[in-house]
Amino acid sequence: MRNWRYIVYIVVISLAISFPFYAGVHPIHVATTILSLLALALSWDILLRGGQLSLGVSAFFGIGSYTTVLTHLNWEVSPLLSIVLGGLAAGVVALVIGLAVLRLRGLYFAIVTLALTFIFIVIVRNLTDLTGGAIGKLIPSVIFGGDPAMIYWLTLAIAVATIITSEIFQKTRIHFALTSIRNNEIAAKSSGIDIFKYLLFAFVVTAVIQGVVGGVHAQRFAFVSPEESFSLTFTILPLAMCLLGGSFSTLGSVIGAGGLGVLAEYLRLMMPRGHLAIYGLVMVMAILLMPKGIVGTIREQLVRRKTASS
Amino acid sequence: MLAKLRQRDYQILIAFIIVAAILAFWRPHVLISGLQRGSLYVLIALPVGIIYGILGILNLAHGEFMMLGAFFAFSLVTLTGIDPLIAMLPAFPAMFVVGIVTYRLTIKHVVRAPLNQFLLTFGLAVMLTEMANLIWTTRPRIVWVPYAASSATIGPITFGTFEFVYVAAAAIVLVGMFLFLTRTRAGLAAMAVGQNPRGAKLVGIDVERTYMMIFSACLAVLGPIGALFLIRHAIFPGVGGPFSLRAVSIVAMAGFGNLPGILVWGIGLGLAEAFVRSFRGWGGWADIIFFGMIILVVFYRSYQRRVR
Repeated sequence: MRNWRYIVYIVVISLAISFPFYAGVHPIHVATTILSLLALALSWDILLRGGQLSLGVSAFFGIGSYTTVLTHLNWEVSPLLSIVLGGLAAGVVALVIGLAVLRLRGLYFAIVTLALTFIFIVIVRNLTDLTGGAIGKLIPSVIFGGDPAMIYWLTLAIAVATIITSEIFQKTRIHFALTSIRNNEIAAKSSGIDIFKYLLFAFVVTAVIQGVVGGVHAQRFAFVSPEESFSLTFTILPLAMCLLGGSFSTLGSVIGAGGLGVLAEYLRLMMPRGHLAIYGLVMVMAILLMPKGIVGTIREQLVRRKTASS
Repeated sequence: MLAKLRQRDYQILIAFIIVAAILAFWRPHVLISGLQRGSLYVLIALPVGIIYGILGILNLAHGEFMMLGAFFAFSLVTLTGIDPLIAMLPAFPAMFVVGIVTYRLTIKHVVRAPLNQFLLTFGLAVMLTEMANLIWTTRPRIVWVPYAASSATIGPITFGTFEFVYVAAAAIVLVGMFLFLTRTRAGLAAMAVGQNPRGAKLVGIDVERTYMMIFSACLAVLGPIGALFLIRHAIFPGVGGPFSLRAVSIVAMAGFGNLPGILVWGIGLGLAEAFVRSFRGWGGWADIIFFGMIILVVFYRSYQRRVR
């Protein structure tokens, strides 16, 4: 029975890849959005495993978006390469910020990453010549000529890459390093773990993922503007998804993104303004009532049942 | 927590006085508007500092609660036609009740989990902003009263006088909180809880009740502050966000649990922003001053940590 797991993987992946062949245009768009939010949620969770609370997902998302659009427009870089450049730019910013902040514990990291979003809104708005100021910039053509299936596959590739990254972080020694940093930093240090190195590595990797997702988003909708690209939505939604599904696991974010993503699409139609309040509520309720999330709670129940029966 | 000014704060204080003296001669406008703006920051950051010092929770939703207080005052003013200054009186107990409800429902359950606390207050901030968005929409609201536009002229410069209300309010809140924490039994009990909750429990202090009262009192102060804010500023659901961020940054810059430091850093931030605003065409950059300051402080502290 060991192989059933792989069969499930293969079925899920082949279903995901063949999705554009049997679904309409609108479901493909929704699925693309959910997959990109999934990548954001999972990348946020990877850093949380080290006990670092980042509230700057939208900052790296926006940096990725802007770098992609500006390199594409000014230097005529091909769309795919410009997305990679967007990821790299987010990584460089994370490296610089991380070098300063990750040596300090406590809430400095959360405060600085939250502030980062607002800072980049101000910078982008004031560098009018380069970024188009408050109006933003338009790209003349959408990536792949606007073919929804191609965009879907690109996003799927990024989401799968994020899942693989998350699994690598879970299965190798990085997992033990990050977990020990979260649980007991002094013990981690005295076991010879270079805390700073591991945290910086995780921070840069997750920022690159968030930048790439931002780049794809910018190429998909062919425009950037301060309020849209650095919108706090891209911090709030992934956080709510991850907390609902269950933090510290790959499956948790995937389930949370799937569930909340479908709900999000429905809510956006039902209540055009103020639908973010629901995600705030989901976050608060998840922290208070279900701190381990859906996956963690179910797993706990299974373990309890197993120990009770044996 | 209320220990005398630290040595370093003295140095910063002296530096500020020198800077203020230079500004007074060179750009008096900057000194006045910086002081007024800085006082507003101090007003909002002080309760954040006290909640952090006693409950150990960094409240990221504080500006949003002030927005709530301001909208409460706005509703009172538009419904009954009273003066916003009178609306300050009912705003205080109203926000106190909001504080008790918030504490009972949420904060109480996460006092011992630092990561969850911060996430929870972030979630609260999102909820408050978006609920206000649902109820009052994003349209900016203003209340016009004649005295808000009053001004005075001394020599060559003219400045608004109403904003000095913020300076006075900051002074009142600072002195009031200082007296409460050092002169009253409840205040001393709160200090004891802040220093050592278990020890406080052993000598018979009701720790839970102290937490609730301090949290609610710190939110209650935001009611009148919100009403004062409403008189001079347009309010909309997102108005509290920048203040939350600045308040939390000021508390972090002062060093967690250092109340006099909040005064110094708050006024300093107000002066620095006013200074940048005084250059034509550069006003938009004033909003990132606080970030520059916090990055400098973080660099300095992590450098110190490496030396030690």
